[in-house]
Amino acid sequence: MENNIHLRDKSHQEQIERWARYVRDNSNWKEKLKPFLDGQIIMARRAYKTLSETKDGKRRIKLIKKLRN
Amino acid sequence: MKRGIGDRTILDDFVEDFCNVVEKHVKYIVCSGFVAISHGRSRATEDIDMIIEKIPEERFIKFHNDLVKSGFECMQSSNPKEIYEDYLINGDSVRYTRKNEFLPEMEIKFTKDELDEEQIKSRRKIPFTKLDIYFSSIESNIAFKEEYLKAEKDLEDAKHLRIIYEGKIDENEINKIKERIRRFRYGK
Repeated sequence: MENNIHLRDKSHQEQIERWARYVRDNSNWKEKLKPFLDGQIIMARRAYKTLSETKDGKRRIKLIKKLRN
Repeated sequence: MKRGIGDRTILDDFVEDFCNVVEKHVKYIVCSGFVAISHGRSRATEDIDMIIEKIPEERFIKFHNDLVKSGFECMQSSNPKEIYEDYLINGDSVRYTRKNEFLPEMEIKFTKDELDEEQIKSRRKIPFTKLDIYFSSIESNIAFKEEYLKAEKDLEDAKHLRIIYEGKIDENEINKIKERIRRFRYGK
């Protein structure tokens, strides 16, 4: 992983720069980002909950989270 | 210092609630990905990285018990002695979540060398984030991401921070930290 990094294409890099400038220059950036940040946590919690209710689900969650049994 | 309810995220509430407990027991810094995310970087994360001062076991037990009393649990063990002796003191991290929640997680580890200790000494609150928590410096985060972590997301985080603080970043400081990273982490 150290030196063989393949950055994604030019348009991806441009999007990172465009968004960073938007954040720097617009105080309402957090309103726009909040649904994305919260959404990923809400979805992941839902997925873990569903998985935990399945047979063997708790063991698989431990595997996902690399926890000792 | 808290933002209005409207734009506070699940991560904001989690990290401030957690840090309020930590601060009573030990000096800490929040570093790495969450620094970029709290500056608006739009990427996913499951965990927030925290480095804390190395403390004796008895102090850690009190600290852990206070976290539990405040509604957090450690994913590795509920036994603070085990958390301390099997993980933290060996340089391994442990993860805390709110009780019965799978995420977000706070990943905690002890300082491992002078570099970590320096980051804690120079910790600061960062007004841009509007969060009442201590971070490692922007220069330190950029240096670690560009010189040590180097994954795609880390390089993109560094680029994001460089744009946010364009014209305000101390490049000499970044270069000094990078030199120390090479010395302490790579033995160069």
